[in-house]
Amino acid sequence: MPYAIETVNISKTFNQVKGYRDIVLHPFRKKRIIALKDINIQVNKGELFCLLGPNGAGKTTLIKILASLILPDKGKAYINGYDVVKDWKHAKKLIGYIVNDERSFYWRLTGRQNLNFFAILNNLPSSKAQRRINEVIDLTGLRGVADKMFKDYSTGMKQRLAIARGLITDPQILLMDEPTKSLDPLTAQNLRKFIKKKLVGKDKKTVFLATHNLAEAEELCDRIAIINHGKIKACGTLAEIRALLGIRKRYFIELKNITDSLVNKLKDLPSVDKVLCKQFDPSLNNQLKLEITIDENGDISKVIEYIISSGGRVLSCCPHKPPLIEIFSQILKR
Amino acid sequence: MAFIYRDFINETSYKLAFFMELLGIFFSVLSFFFLSKLFGKAVIPHLKPYGGNYFSFVLIGIAFSSYLQVSLHTFARSIRSAQTTGTLEALLVTQTGIPTIIVSSSLYSFIRTSLRVVAYLLLGLFLFGVNMKGANIFAATLILALTIITFSSIGIISASFIMVTKRGEPLTWIFTTISWLIGGVIYPISILPDWLQKFSYLLPITYSLEGMRLALLRGFSTNALLPHILALALFAVVLLPLSIGLFGYGVKRAKIEGSLTHY
Repeated sequence: MPYAIETVNISKTFNQVKGYRDIVLHPFRKKRIIALKDINIQVNKGELFCLLGPNGAGKTTLIKILASLILPDKGKAYINGYDVVKDWKHAKKLIGYIVNDERSFYWRLTGRQNLNFFAILNNLPSSKAQRRINEVIDLTGLRGVADKMFKDYSTGMKQRLAIARGLITDPQILLMDEPTKSLDPLTAQNLRKFIKKKLVGKDKKTVFLATHNLAEAEELCDRIAIINHGKIKACGTLAEIRALLGIRKRYFIELKNITDSLVNKLKDLPSVDKVLCKQFDPSLNNQLKLEITIDENGDISKVIEYIISSGGRVLSCCPHKPPLIEIFSQILKR
Repeated sequence: MAFIYRDFINETSYKLAFFMELLGIFFSVLSFFFLSKLFGKAVIPHLKPYGGNYFSFVLIGIAFSSYLQVSLHTFARSIRSAQTTGTLEALLVTQTGIPTIIVSSSLYSFIRTSLRVVAYLLLGLFLFGVNMKGANIFAATLILALTIITFSSIGIISASFIMVTKRGEPLTWIFTTISWLIGGVIYPISILPDWLQKFSYLLPITYSLEGMRLALLRGFSTNALLPHILALALFAVVLLPLSIGLFGYGVKRAKIEGSLTHY
């Protein structure tokens, strides 16, 4: 069974535009920018996969290669087993491309007329096109404005129409390039819910979503690939990426009846990396909140056992999962 | 049809421009009518092969040179318009191939031009007394079809440049300027010096306009117009496959450079 999306050693470079001075002094010198280097990604069917990276990382270039808008220099990309270069006709039947560009519509046509036009270009028979247009209009909440000119739409409506267009052929795979970029927080949140619950959860579509929004990636995605300077730095679930980085385990422990000397002894325990005092209340029997970092192979239960055997009382112990921002920063530094 | 409908809605939404174009046709014809009054009833030897009347001569030239304009410009303009408005990417992601998109994007321009030509001819016939009795409509249509294919091929070559360079393609400017100068649009080529006339016969517009005038104004038979028809057919046979090949190369270059949607 082929992957929904697969790339094998995809690489892409672009020529940098030369100024007049360079054209005259160095006419044959080529300046090239590496956009992508040896990208290997596999996306399973029904997965919500995020490509996360800062601006200029290569996200849009990769999505455009998958949509057959850019030819890779090296490597192959497949949509459900179809080569996006050689079998682009088959590949295009399977994808819906949702781009966050309000200029990609005809402003003097209505929303419905725009959808009708693109439905015909996607070879939808007329009767089926009309039915499907009504469905996607309802799905995206555009019924009240479907017959208004696109130029009169708000930004949120324009983005919803872009999603409607991407869904018009009911494709199995959706390629989304920063779909919530220009939306207000509430609209963006509703769109994220729609993607996760309706498109992926209910309709079982595969979604490949490029974003630089960490919160969005953390909220939505089953798996994430972090890309920077054209290279995949890490790929997997959040837990897998954390494990890959060997991120230390951190715990917040609330304690009572604990002395300074005990806290110092905790630091000397073999698996303990760091002990930080977060809160101290002497009026409550020296109630203390500690942040304890232990290494990958360490076991917090051993630390708790030691505290108890030394006379301390453990009130609570909560693991601290490092947020994506922390993981992201560490990975980009690598 | 989808493209024609899209462009019709787009064009007619600019209501003032739509009416002004209709007025423009009328005033253009009127200007040349008054210009032809300069000649009065004088017999101009250069106009004799075409029936002797300057207004009829120039009306055919102005009307059918519209096809030159639209064929040369519409493909490149469609691409450039799609690039600048941002719709090209959305079009290229659909299941419709690029050649179909480009050709279909130009259909409305040809339909509009045909309506302009009909308007020119009707004005000439009913308002300004142009005589087209005995016109060979079949030959005129055949010549028109070959003309459109030939000029469109040049237009597609021009569009290939636009795909890669985005601006500044030289072909249409050269062709349009030279065609107007020595192609027989507003004066017969027999007026030109002999050495310049030789260059006229290298241009498809020369055969196109001459054939059209002889078919419509003199009612020449299809057999008599065979030299013009065959010349245009030869241009079409050479230029059409060349244009398709070059356009495919232009698209591939743009995809390699990642510049399909740049402008």
